[in-house]
Amino acid sequence: MSKEDNLNKNWKKDFPIEKQQATNVSRRDFAKFLTLVSGGLMVGSGLVAAKAYMYPKEEVEGEHFVCNKEEVPLGGTRAFVIEGSTIPYILIHLETGEFKAYEQKCTHLSCSVFYKPGTGIIHCPCHEGSFDAKTGKVLAGPPPRALPKLDVFFKDNAVYVKASIEEEIG
Amino acid sequence: MSNFRRSQNQSNPNKLNAILSTLIFILILNVTIQIWLLYAALNNALENHKEILIPAFIASLVLFLIGASLLYYMPIGNNNSRK
Repeated sequence: MSKEDNLNKNWKKDFPIEKQQATNVSRRDFAKFLTLVSGGLMVGSGLVAAKAYMYPKEEVEGEHFVCNKEEVPLGGTRAFVIEGSTIPYILIHLETGEFKAYEQKCTHLSCSVFYKPGTGIIHCPCHEGSFDAKTGKVLAGPPPRALPKLDVFFKDNAVYVKASIEEEIG
Repeated sequence: MSNFRRSQNQSNPNKLNAILSTLIFILILNVTIQIWLLYAALNNALENHKEILIPAFIASLVLFLIGASLLYYMPIGNNNSRK
């Protein structure tokens, strides 16, 4: 049997799938797979919405004592947690004399942020993210959102925090 | 009796090829938009802006239904009636 004959007969008998058929099958499976991915993304979107509506983020309730004014020097910071919660916060005594309180978790990947004295910048060392210490807004780096903040107020010499009233945007 | 499915399967492979390519193209486009929607929804959920979540989910659902219904037009392939 010549090589030609072998190619024409036996080879085809051993592999009875035509090339076109083979490619058709895989592309059809690819299309089905894409639809599956599409369904997955749809479910994911639904879960995000369900989570947001059914288990909303806990708001800080009431007023909480942090420390006395003189305990935090100008340009200094103090870390604190609110009773019954594990979220770390920092109280910052800005060089301008203001007190600000922010969540200490970077909005990028939850690294600890710290205040750089004298610069007015809250810095995240993990990926070089920078936040404005006055507003909590992102100045540079990868963080997608501003730092969540608490409102600071005083009773005589004591520093208290309470949930920030959301500003209406746009 | 001839129906859509049979006549489509009997059509020229070039035509089936074009149909399948278009279908995959549209599906990829849909998935891309859905990824963007999910990304936007997640970011807004973390930012406590809830008003975008339901519309994003509905849009995602519509895109999925479009993709799923397009599968009806997917060529079955040559079922080798020649054999």
